Amino acid sequence: MTAGPEMRDLAHRLLAYEAGAGNGAGSAEAASGRVYEKLRGSLTEFVGVAGFQSLESRALTLVRLESSGPDPVRIGTGKIETHIDMDKEWAGEVGILLIAHLLGLLRMFLGEALTLSLLRNAWPGEVFDDGNAVHGRQA
Amino acid sequence: MSTQDKVKINKLPTGVPGLDEIVGGGLPEFSFNIIAGAPGSGKTTLAHQFVFANATPERPALYFTVLGESAIKMLRYQQQYTFFDPAMLPGSIRFINLSQVVLEKDLGAVLEQVTREVEKANPAVVVVDSFRTMVRKPEGDMDLQSFIQRMALFLASWQATTFLIGEYAEEELRDNPIFTVADGLFWLRQTAERNSIVRKLQIIKLRGQDSVPGLHTFRITNAGVQAFSRTFGLTGHTKTPPTDRRLSFGIAELDAMLGGGVREGDSVLVAGSSGTGKSVLATQFIAEGIRQGEPGIVAVFEERPQAYAERAASLGLDLETPQKDGKLTILYLRPLDLSVDETMHSILDAVQKIGAKRLVIDSLAGFEMALSPGFRADFRESLYRMIFALTGIGVTIVSTVEVDESFTEFPFSTYSISFLCDDILRLRYVSIDGQLRKIMVVIKMRGGNHAKDIREYEITSKGVVILGKRLTNFQGLISGIPVHSVAATEEPSLDTGTEHKG
Repeated sequence: MTAGPEMRDLAHRLLAYEAGAGNGAGSAEAASGRVYEKLRGSLTEFVGVAGFQSLESRALTLVRLESSGPDPVRIGTGKIETHIDMDKEWAGEVGILLIAHLLGLLRMFLGEALTLSLLRNAWPGEVFDDGNAVHGRQA
Repeated sequence: MSTQDKVKINKLPTGVPGLDEIVGGGLPEFSFNIIAGAPGSGKTTLAHQFVFANATPERPALYFTVLGESAIKMLRYQQQYTFFDPAMLPGSIRFINLSQVVLEKDLGAVLEQVTREVEKANPAVVVVDSFRTMVRKPEGDMDLQSFIQRMALFLASWQATTFLIGEYAEEELRDNPIFTVADGLFWLRQTAERNSIVRKLQIIKLRGQDSVPGLHTFRITNAGVQAFSRTFGLTGHTKTPPTDRRLSFGIAELDAMLGGGVREGDSVLVAGSSGTGKSVLATQFIAEGIRQGEPGIVAVFEERPQAYAERAASLGLDLETPQKDGKLTILYLRPLDLSVDETMHSILDAVQKIGAKRLVIDSLAGFEMALSPGFRADFRESLYRMIFALTGIGVTIVSTVEVDESFTEFPFSTYSISFLCDDILRLRYVSIDGQLRKIMVVIKMRGGNHAKDIREYEITSKGVVILGKRLTNFQGLISGIPVHSVAATEEPSLDTGTEHKG
């Protein structure tokens, strides 16, 4: 399981930050979209497009396995850019799940310290400041 | 500013223990370097160590990954090394993947992206890993030669120290434009020798720097690459001038045979067959040193330190207390895959740590067996360097060596290393009056007086005890089968020892 409570908590934290900095586009889907795009940008620089697509496909598979409803995720076939088009009904929950799985995969492969270091490239440190984010909220 | 002033080239720490000395004090700043070698030889790890040692938030490192090992897996494994500090990412160290542009575009586009990233980040260090995968790609509108030259020129102008990492075979060394452009060329070799792996590093070229030539052993541990210079880290050390001071074995009769003891800074070889008391003598030498306030090191290869100390205790020699007091270190050097250089570094570290004046190597045969088979071929040459280096810093060495007992010859060593030793003490069995007894003789003392006498000795609960005076009335003692030169019924007569010029 790569999207345990700690990863979901971290995903929520990132979403909360993006929702707060959303410039009016305050829906959960928009916030999760921004988190996802930041992750994509940050990770693509680091692992390359193909590397990110591999992680993404694994995360999507894990989301499908975990979701009880109809297939909530569709992957685009763009050569470089992969598009995710989420069912509206599931978008909020699935978005968090997808992000949590991506983060979980990163933590599994790179460990907690390095994962947080990479995330700090995309989000300011205060997002992770109230204790160890990967270990859940302290408050 | 003066017309006489030459440019000073700053030297950057390599982050690899031992490598700074090999490259002449550090890596030249702004140099354009290549790390080449076979897969698994430690190229990436070496580059990472340099990056982690030099990157700062103000002048970060850009680490470009190309085709080959996935970045995630690379960091998954690399972070296991103790030098890897995750907190340095991404502020001080940024990993940038160039796979897509390499796959889809040409070398010109690769250069453009590298240029863009360098201009944006202002890095002090740039690494391209693996550069080889990039140049295997068919060339587009930019040929390889100009690509290399433009990249080297650009990165140097931007004050970046650069490493290109590539898998190369040795035969590719010639006529390769990449190697011509490079300021530094580091070649890592890894060969299997019987059941062990031998890793060696060579600085094939390094512009503007006085690097140490030759092949240097290196090892990869959880601390990363560690290099062992052929000069044992003693470059620049002033050789300790020889003194006339004599060091005692703690056996008055033996000291007298040696003209007053072993000359300080000498290398002494104690040769004899099994059971003749070589280790006992060596232990007495080290114990006497401690008694006189001279810290010592014992390098053992054939038994554990505890067993060594217990054996010494059975002779009434306390090696436990000086170990606790930091006056003695018994080094047990892990057998089977050592290089002489690694052994030397362990010994030198111990010598410097406690300020040792005496060193016992017990035994050379065990030392050789502890080496990787690939290093055994160089044993004599390595031993020469080791003894020269240690005695050069004023350490007095007693080495034991086992020789096959022969009744037709009188060998000093199976290694033909007697020329390495200043002094040789030979122990052997002789058959006298139906008993197998022991004799010792000083074969040589370089530059000193020593006795010619052949003395009988015993190993007692107090260690080696020399009996009476020199053996007379025998001929052919060193053959092991002497004959009485007087009536066979007479006891061997004894005479006072005499000294002769060595």
